[in-house]
Amino acid sequence: MGDGNPHLAVEMRNITKVFPGVRALDNVSFNVKAGEVHALAGKNGAGKSTLMHILTGLYPYDSGELLIRGKAFGKLNTATAKAVGIALVAQHTKIIPGLSIAENVFAGNLALSRYGFVEWKKIYKEATERLAKFGLDLDVRRLMETTSVAERQMIEIARALFANASVVILDEPTAPLPKHDVAKLFEFVRRQKAQGSSFIYISHYLEEIFEVADRVTVLRNGEVTGSSAIKDVTQTNLIHMISGVNVERYRRLPTKPGLPVLEIKGLTRSNAYHDINLTIYAGEVVGLTGLEGSGPGSLARGLFGLEPLGSGKVLIDGKAYDHGDPSKALRQRLAYLPRDRHGLGIVASRSVRDNVSLSVLAKLQNSLGLVNGKNERKLVGDYIDVLGIKTPSMETAIENLSGGNQQKAVVAKLAATEPRVLLLDEPTQGVDVQAKVELLRIVDELSKRGVAVGVVSDELSELIDICDRILVFYRGSIIKEFRKDTETITTAKLLAAIEGEISEKSDAA
Amino acid sequence: MQRDIIIPIILDNLIWFILAAVFIFFTIQSEHFFTSTNISNILSAAAVLGVLVVGQTFVLITGNFDLSSESTLGLAALFGIWLIVPAVAPNWGGGVLLNPYLAIVIILAMGAAIGYVIGVLITLGKMNNFIVTLAMLLILRGLMLAFTEGNATSGLNYPPADIFYWLGHKVAFEIPGVVKISIAVVATALVFATGHVILNHRRFGRELYAIGGNRQAAVASGIDADLRIRQVYMISGTLAAFGGWMLAGRVASIQVNLGEGYIFTVMAAAVIGGISLQGGRGTMLGALGGVLLLSTIDRGLNLMRVSVFWIKVIQGLIIMLAMFVDAQRVRYRAPSAEKAKPLETKTTDAE
Repeated sequence: MGDGNPHLAVEMRNITKVFPGVRALDNVSFNVKAGEVHALAGKNGAGKSTLMHILTGLYPYDSGELLIRGKAFGKLNTATAKAVGIALVAQHTKIIPGLSIAENVFAGNLALSRYGFVEWKKIYKEATERLAKFGLDLDVRRLMETTSVAERQMIEIARALFANASVVILDEPTAPLPKHDVAKLFEFVRRQKAQGSSFIYISHYLEEIFEVADRVTVLRNGEVTGSSAIKDVTQTNLIHMISGVNVERYRRLPTKPGLPVLEIKGLTRSNAYHDINLTIYAGEVVGLTGLEGSGPGSLARGLFGLEPLGSGKVLIDGKAYDHGDPSKALRQRLAYLPRDRHGLGIVASRSVRDNVSLSVLAKLQNSLGLVNGKNERKLVGDYIDVLGIKTPSMETAIENLSGGNQQKAVVAKLAATEPRVLLLDEPTQGVDVQAKVELLRIVDELSKRGVAVGVVSDELSELIDICDRILVFYRGSIIKEFRKDTETITTAKLLAAIEGEISEKSDAA
Repeated sequence: MQRDIIIPIILDNLIWFILAAVFIFFTIQSEHFFTSTNISNILSAAAVLGVLVVGQTFVLITGNFDLSSESTLGLAALFGIWLIVPAVAPNWGGGVLLNPYLAIVIILAMGAAIGYVIGVLITLGKMNNFIVTLAMLLILRGLMLAFTEGNATSGLNYPPADIFYWLGHKVAFEIPGVVKISIAVVATALVFATGHVILNHRRFGRELYAIGGNRQAAVASGIDADLRIRQVYMISGTLAAFGGWMLAGRVASIQVNLGEGYIFTVMAAAVIGGISLQGGRGTMLGALGGVLLLSTIDRGLNLMRVSVFWIKVIQGLIIMLAMFVDAQRVRYRAPSAEKAKPLETKTTDAE
């Protein structure tokens, strides 16, 4: 085996890790050069997290070799991993919102005067200088909670880098980020890379891997299924390596819409949307897109009663919609799939059964007011089968399922209420490639039952695949409608409209 | 892999294994422990605690606290007596001479009303549940002191106040030489059974778990969380008043400190029984285990003639020990969530 290569920041050779009953990693080799971004791809449960837990010293490995800058570490604990320069920046950053940026930068190691008082001047000055070194120009006195998610991530990466981290693991860093901030984050990563820092980049968004990574390694069921320079792979073969099957894009066939189900006339809410007129017909899937904060998300949350609705007219199946809280919306058969799955979608500690039946318990009660267990299990079992939710049993806590299966369970919960209008807010966020396709198939099938579906998303290619029409929002107004039956919608046309350019060409098409 | 099956069974039912161990320990230590009288005493003592714990469990499952229940207990008992007895010393009576049955209904309604006020302050007033119920704990106890000026009421075993004595003392049935079961024990058993059915088999109970597990997700699933929270406080208040009826009857008098300090035991029993203070986790059966364990320990220590000066220290240590064991249980389980992920991939590929 010989000595390690000193040019490699990290070298993991033939790592095997066995958990009781499961071979989580089987002979996995993975390395990161100094000054590169190495993407790690794979479905949830493929072994990415386990591999990273080994690198950060959280788990011991059973066999293989782990070298960091040429030095072998037979046993690595979290403290040693940190000391030799491995840092993890998790999706949910570990910041303290109520403290200033400066205090967060120093993470508790505040400079003290001789008498034990905090030396604020010095701290603010040093924090500003440190951040400036990484190209971040921020007022460090501001409270952390006033920063954007992208700024937080950059601050956290910077913080890891001053702690002498040479390898930073970015775990799904862009999932909580609005689109335009992703570019900023990537720019930041590239700049630090040029300074010699290495990054391990974990993401479900393949486009991002192509954009930011130099190399990619794919894991599947604990084995490496491919590793190469990014310029030598295509998206198709990357998907093949990840899922082991050729995942095809799900393309919905054109459908003939029925009667109007959701009708919105002149709806306005200040600072959210303005004079919205839109109709979704039975069996139709309509995409709603735009820049972050341009209106579609607020509209969906407003309709469902999570936010105020504003003034204007809303009809469901021709009847005036009585706006109130979500329970009122569900009674009027309007359902909403939240963007924030962990915050609003699932009750993590409860079983799949409890989660799926949550909105329809009233319907499942018998004359004694008891929830009929048999009917409940049948209902949940049917949805597990129809939607293809992969779970050891319906009694498994939903937190133990993969993101895609959690999301399917949330869809099942909504479908069980038999909605007429189904609004989906970023339905494929944070789920793997295969689950994305399955979710789109489910959406299509629900629409075929006559449900009027609205999909709020910035995954443009998915919208094109699944929607009959796509409405583009700009600063709270609908500025453009694309119809699949009259034109070929492309991401380029959509992007132009999203940025606010109403091009002559697509108008004519 | 037998270990994988047995250990979770023990962990899930840990409270009952501990209870059994404690039982065996005291039986060895004291010949008076495993006797008919003593078992009857443990059950009777557990009855009042149990009623309060059921109420508290409902509140805890939604992720809230009700610290006020011990004061509600005292005030309800006092008010009940005031409604029933003549206005002569030594009894603290209002001279209303109300029908005792009606008086009981009124004090239960009073408990519910106190719970409703707390619920409104928390849900509509957007106030912190800990502080609201702490303030209520002081207010209600203060009212009791103010009304009685510190005087106690006794003679609850004579008419017309004997409706208290009936619940607190009357034997429902007896298995000769084995155990005497009081009406209080039967009532508490019914309260537990009803609580269990509501939590597991009614929409109401199932929604409480969702609210405690993730309130925002529960709301987004169409659950009226605010309404449910007002309702659980009403349940807790009603059961606290019921507990007041029972406890006053058991001690056959009402001191101004009736029930004072009880809330610590109530919380301890619930938590030892596996009810999470964060909400969303725990079962009525577990809470029952917690109640029996604390009552058994209390009685056992008395029999072992542990000095009263040391009993609180020992109780505190036992609660800490139980929490330590529980923390280990969480730690043992934590990696299993990690394990579940790779397993799941296997099922994906089996298709």
